[in-house]
Amino acid sequence: MLSILTIIWALIVGIIVLGFIAASAMFLIWWERKVSAHIQSRYGPMRVGWHGVLQSVADAVKLLLKENIIPAEADKLVWWLAPFIAVVPPVMAFVVLPFGKNLIVKDLNVGVLYLMALSSVSVIGIFMAGWGSNNKYSLIGGMRSAAQIISYELPLILSMIIVAMQAGSLSMQKIVLAQAGCWNIFHPNLAIAFFVYLTSATAEINRVPFDIPEAESELVAGFHTEYSGMKFAMFFIGEYTNLFIISAIAATLFFGGWQGPVLPGVVWFLIKSYGIVFVLMWVRWTFPRLRVDQLMGFAWKVLTPISFFNLALTGWLLIK
Amino acid sequence: MIKYSKNFVIGIWSLIKGLAVTMKYCFRPAVTVQYPTEKRPMSDCYRGLVGLHREKCIVCYQCVKMCPTACLAITHKLEDKKKILETFKYNMELCCFCGLCEQVCPADAIVMTKIYEISVYDRKKLDINLLDDKKYDEWTHTTIK
Repeated sequence: MLSILTIIWALIVGIIVLGFIAASAMFLIWWERKVSAHIQSRYGPMRVGWHGVLQSVADAVKLLLKENIIPAEADKLVWWLAPFIAVVPPVMAFVVLPFGKNLIVKDLNVGVLYLMALSSVSVIGIFMAGWGSNNKYSLIGGMRSAAQIISYELPLILSMIIVAMQAGSLSMQKIVLAQAGCWNIFHPNLAIAFFVYLTSATAEINRVPFDIPEAESELVAGFHTEYSGMKFAMFFIGEYTNLFIISAIAATLFFGGWQGPVLPGVVWFLIKSYGIVFVLMWVRWTFPRLRVDQLMGFAWKVLTPISFFNLALTGWLLIK
Repeated sequence: MIKYSKNFVIGIWSLIKGLAVTMKYCFRPAVTVQYPTEKRPMSDCYRGLVGLHREKCIVCYQCVKMCPTACLAITHKLEDKKKILETFKYNMELCCFCGLCEQVCPADAIVMTKIYEISVYDRKKLDINLLDDKKYDEWTHTTIK
């Protein structure tokens, strides 16, 4: 009896989370197009719905109806599996995101560790897509993605560890509760950690200015050049879900998560998350792309030393 | 080391400056228009389709002679030693919109209109009879005249 109830409960939660992911991804795609348009003195989508708000729905319908083309020389199994592996880790990350005081799927006591582990899984999907397509541009894109994500993993994890040190716990809820008096961002060492986190997270999800894996002007579209229809849409949903995830993690770790006056917790959480999403969009439509060597140099020569220094500083501050 | 830190500070400052510029533009009104529903007025010197004020035409054939692509064709008849226009054909397919016919016309009869939406489904429609008053009705209902 208990097991049936558990399964039903799991199904309900799963449907809610998947619905939120789909809606959020569609909204973010529309929002990104609007932000880019306004920054470039254009209107962006205007025709479908109020100010084109249903444009993403129209696009999704179009992608669903598109033919699924498989390249003749593709490694079929790898090619077919890649979009799923790219989209599942961001969905799994929703397990530990605290939307509210009791609004969390499962408060794992190793939440931060779980997120760190998941963030490196999606690179496998991207690399599989590059390899399976059997196309030089896709392969270069996949290779670059792997190199980039492995390099930026280090500063990312080091900056997340600093938060865990400050809170004394790896559980996401406990990290939020530890920020009751003062958000982490107001501590100088954690503010540095925030900027390191945001920079390396941007690189982690292959966004401009670190989008060399899918650099349009060099690699056509990198790893998803050969994908069409719903498979391409899955990469797209994965990308925008990742965008929301890193913003949500930043909001939880540095901006007090769901804590805030007057409004309910979930509203605060969404405001903070989408605020950080906006900052990332703003950055995307401002800066040009980095070169590959600059990108690697930046990770290993700037961000990693800063993170190690910050780690030592935080340790010293905590012991003092 | 001093040079490095100076570069670092300048670099960060330039990033912030760039962000400020894009944010400023984000709240400015858009410069583009919603094309099919909203249109820009064309400038006075715009050269669109060729139009004709038939009452002004003195049938001097200057435009026919001047046209580099020979897209204009006129025939006339004589009545009391006066030339009367019989046909005035304009083959838009050949027209290069150079505006020489307008410049050379001594009576200002032939003009360049501001019609720029000039695609048709039937090739025969490109052969236009300029004496027909309703020749551009099909096209001008969407265009600023």
